[in-house]
Amino acid sequence: MTQALNYPMPSEDADNRAFLTAWREEGKLLLQKAAPDGRPFFYPRPICPYTGSADLVSVPASGKGRIVSYALVLRPNHPAFNDDVPIILAEIELEEGASLLGRIICEEASSVASGLDVELLPPADAKRYPLPTFRLQTSGDE
Amino acid sequence: MNKDSQIGIIGYGATAYEKKTDRTLFSFLTEAGRAALDSAGLSFSDVDGLAICSFELPPDNTVTAAEQFGMSLSWAYLGTAGSAGPVASIINAVHAIESGQATTVLCIAGDNYDVGGHYKLMDNFSRGLRNYGTPQGFGGANGLFAIIQRKHMETYGTRIEDLGRISVGQRNSARQNDRALLRGPMSIDDYVNSRMIADPIRLYDCVLPCAGAEAVVVTSLDRAEPGKGVRVVTGYERHNHPTMEIAPLRGGWETFADRLYDDAGYGPSDMDFVQLYDDYPIMAAIQFEDLGFCRKGEVSQYLADNTFDWAGSVPLNTGGGQLSCGQAGIAGGMLSVTEAVRQLRGEGGGRQVANAKRGLVAGYGMVGYGHGLSASTIILETTR
Repeated sequence: MTQALNYPMPSEDADNRAFLTAWREEGKLLLQKAAPDGRPFFYPRPICPYTGSADLVSVPASGKGRIVSYALVLRPNHPAFNDDVPIILAEIELEEGASLLGRIICEEASSVASGLDVELLPPADAKRYPLPTFRLQTSGDE
Repeated sequence: MNKDSQIGIIGYGATAYEKKTDRTLFSFLTEAGRAALDSAGLSFSDVDGLAICSFELPPDNTVTAAEQFGMSLSWAYLGTAGSAGPVASIINAVHAIESGQATTVLCIAGDNYDVGGHYKLMDNFSRGLRNYGTPQGFGGANGLFAIIQRKHMETYGTRIEDLGRISVGQRNSARQNDRALLRGPMSIDDYVNSRMIADPIRLYDCVLPCAGAEAVVVTSLDRAEPGKGVRVVTGYERHNHPTMEIAPLRGGWETFADRLYDDAGYGPSDMDFVQLYDDYPIMAAIQFEDLGFCRKGEVSQYLADNTFDWAGSVPLNTGGGQLSCGQAGIAGGMLSVTEAVRQLRGEGGGRQVANAKRGLVAGYGMVGYGHGLSASTIILETTR
């Protein structure tokens, strides 16, 4: 496994274990929602922030979404990221309606723009990153 | 708080700000507290209520601080709203006095860390940010507020050179404040051309983390020396609003702005100065919108049409604000209060706003998963 970089890791607990495991082992992004048909939300928590329900189910997201806005971080908070700058950190609205903060991996930071479509990295690449991480969607199918 | 309440701030004080320090947090907190009490003509033994706002205080709290200070208290308050906390602590101090839980409240805010300490703080700010921000190299607050600023620029056409008028105006005022850590001249060109930190956030959008503390004494105004009391007219706070938005273009002030001005009987254009929370110019700009100084989405033109130093058309953060004084952690949310009191007592020296009678002070803080969760505002009036 190529966890090549010493990125700071999320601390795993009963609320986020399924989410972290799905990403780490399958490159999937799990969203929680109130059973059966609640609005999906991120980040993981013990109750639905829309309804207060503790009857939650986890569903895999398509991994596709849209950049709402973004930052090009030149001065990361942690030295493990110093060689990665600029870190492309985006507010991403997923197809399922939930929003999250996600890193976008893109060699040419200037090609990133608000409104562009993104998708999860392929599972093989996903293992390098502690959390669901994205790339720009290419125009055709890959 | 009660209408026509005669409770207010009768003393204020601060420590010098230091970029690096060996001094302890309690040393800063007690120095600011003593200075505020000296200015009120009171001593620690006169105080029966204590409010502390400090990121660095844990594992201590207000009660263990009282042990350190040797105080016996009937009311203790610990800020939970980041740098919206100091303004909130004053609101709650007034309520405590009105309800008889305390007669004299010392409100202190302070921290003692440097730039490295600031990043560590942000990495561990909350479980949400620690687990879902830190592992992505989110760049601390700079990365998050860059997302908000870009969205504001792309949604409303907000211009960099207009946002810069906030930093530049405040720097002009800081040049009249020998306590400000950053006092060199700054032009709009300097601002626009300053180094990019988290595009579109530039160096001159950012505060300098430092160590220091600020404090005020809240009690009945009849205990003030003549003309030295500052009335707390009204105040409100709001937390986690709007819910479930990562990068909202409003911060919660809009939920209580109408009540604030209804209580006061006058509005934003009647303020002689404003002290807004200036962690970034974009957030001060959003406060101008949310607090009704201009319409939502129109702040760029408002900034272009006004000047913001102490002698400007809208005196803003008249001591230079955090952008020029430095940000001593949560003290940044009290710096605005002490400066407002200074102005309303006519003690502004070379940066005194002429005839300052009314001022608005806003707080903001507690960065969550994407943005500051807490907003607070008070309106203050002179008794001169």
